[in-house]
Amino acid sequence: MIEGRYFQPRSARFSPARLSRPEKRMLRLEGQDGALIGEFRLKRVRIRERLGNIPRRFRFPDGGMFETMDNDGADALLAGTGRGASTLDRLERSLRWVALSVVIVVAAIYGFAAYGIPLLADELARVTPPNVITFIAQQSLKTLDGRVLSPTTLKPEQKAKAQAILEKAAKHGHLPLKTYRLVFRNAPHVGPNAFALPDGEIVVTDQLFPLIKSDSELEGVLAHEIAHVDRRHGLQSIYQASLVPAAIAVMTGDASQFGQLATLLPGILLQSSYRRSFEQQADDDAAETLKANGEDPASLAHLLLRLDAKVCGKTGCGPSWLSSHPATIDRVNRLMGERKP
Amino acid sequence: MEGENALIRHDFEFRGSGREYFGIWIVNLALSLITFGIYSAWAKVRTQRYLYGNTYVAGHSLDYDPSPWRILIGRIIAVSAFLAYSVAVGFWPQTIGLFYIGFGLLIPWLINSSLRFSARNTLYRNIRFDFVGRYSEALVNYVIWPIVGYVSLFLLLPRARKARDYYYINKHAYGGRPFQTSFSTGRIYLIYLGGVALFLGLGALLVAVSAWADAATGDFKTVPFGDYLGFAVLPLYFIVYTAAVTFIDIMVFNLTVNHTTFDERHKLASRVSPWMVTWIVVTNFLLTLLTIGLFYPFGRVRLTRYQTERLSLMAASDLDEYTSELSRANSAIGEEVAGFFDLGIGL
Repeated sequence: MIEGRYFQPRSARFSPARLSRPEKRMLRLEGQDGALIGEFRLKRVRIRERLGNIPRRFRFPDGGMFETMDNDGADALLAGTGRGASTLDRLERSLRWVALSVVIVVAAIYGFAAYGIPLLADELARVTPPNVITFIAQQSLKTLDGRVLSPTTLKPEQKAKAQAILEKAAKHGHLPLKTYRLVFRNAPHVGPNAFALPDGEIVVTDQLFPLIKSDSELEGVLAHEIAHVDRRHGLQSIYQASLVPAAIAVMTGDASQFGQLATLLPGILLQSSYRRSFEQQADDDAAETLKANGEDPASLAHLLLRLDAKVCGKTGCGPSWLSSHPATIDRVNRLMGERKP
Repeated sequence: MEGENALIRHDFEFRGSGREYFGIWIVNLALSLITFGIYSAWAKVRTQRYLYGNTYVAGHSLDYDPSPWRILIGRIIAVSAFLAYSVAVGFWPQTIGLFYIGFGLLIPWLINSSLRFSARNTLYRNIRFDFVGRYSEALVNYVIWPIVGYVSLFLLLPRARKARDYYYINKHAYGGRPFQTSFSTGRIYLIYLGGVALFLGLGALLVAVSAWADAATGDFKTVPFGDYLGFAVLPLYFIVYTAAVTFIDIMVFNLTVNHTTFDERHKLASRVSPWMVTWIVVTNFLLTLLTIGLFYPFGRVRLTRYQTERLSLMAASDLDEYTSELSRANSAIGEEVAGFFDLGIGL
């Protein structure tokens, strides 16, 4: 027998009541004075599972409702009937199951962040149709051309020389030579830079050339960008950028203000860590290309140091965990390590 | 005035605990993950039911009672629609315009259906809430007004917010009786002005501090750790932004709720402090970062408790007389599709 409140069918009006189970499959509802309110077949009654200490509610087929604060009493009343289960409630209260859940959640998050998203993005990049890749690349270049890039001011012989160096580096690329196309642009606001578009165009800014002291330095830069194209890094970044927020939305399961604020930063950190591993891969590939052409991988390192001094000044460019590129000093050390075969 | 005197004040109360909610959250999250998301519909109902079930007013708690199956079906449709969109736009980029037009036309239906689903599955004292907005009304208040607000260079944005809040409150019902809110447009403009002033005032202060730090750390290191001061100021900008946005949200919420009547007799009252909410949101954020996410459920309970306990019901009667006029709950598809695309519906 459990004490509670009975709400009349489809009404907010209630009175104190008691619920008992006189027969195995029958519930008896009575008023405080013991007068019968109704008898209900157990299987026709909707009984909520136990959850924390919120009131347990029994909904009757006629729209009436009985609720009780006595959750233990309700469990005892229903024992052996298989109704109003409290299995989940026991898991949620058990230290062991909660600890196991923490392990599962942390492992799943780590696994998905470290392997799931990169694999998925790689697979999606692989199956992306070539016309879509061209479309994306052309749109990006068009956007940049309207804003930060303007026509090049390089002399034709400078361009021809760069083209010859590209062809030398591209021999070690995975794709046909004509895939890689050099694009020169003047970019006073961006400064010295080079980047690859997913369809194989490699954009080099005019501002990079004054910093280059030898052909092998330019070859290192171009080999680095060729690696980005070969490994579809640009496309993968696009997919990662949409997979990370989707994954975080699934994790938190709600889009409250607090949730958004708290999930913004981990998302940014995760994506910049993916980018850093792409940069490292591209550096490694560039070092291989330079070595295969009989040149010193350290030449790329020398250029990186000069770039760093030019762009970041003496104070450096901020902490590496926030940026999309690994700290220059780490990249230089890695490239220097490639020197001796 | 005689009606005023007869009102009895019932404060809302939240009886849940962060510890209890943590167990519920993590176990259900783990189950969602090992079932590849299928269980997430049940997890959503269970976590939401815990928060509602612990919200008490006048001796009774709310109940959240949807069918998880409907939520699951809604989620499957939402994910399929998103995949169809991604694939189609990937292979035929020119179809993107069609998708946006189609989605735009769907928005009013999604909003109504989502609000109706939440309302009809929320019960208090055995009676369901209801939402009775029409497609054309949702189109005007949730789509056209916001567009007007942005096109007018934000000048009409407070007015658009008023339209949305009126629609949200005035189309809700309980036991067949309406909720009603009514306040002057001037009040909402004052709040937005206050929010903008707060943002500009605190922002200017920060810019001044940054400039001073830059100058002080130029050639002579007059400030210890001066190099790091610039970085230290950066998170403060987020706090200023959060404070300004929270100020507007909470003050508009208070304004709307304080002018809401139910059944033309009962009143609601809200005394939520925007400063307290900013403090809770920012500290929750930091603690969640420090605990790699494990503080999240504690933070949610903390915020829910604070906001809930600043609400009151001023009842003119014992509410016994309300009866249900509804029997059938609406589909969950609207709410789930809206949730997936993050429309962020609500006050």
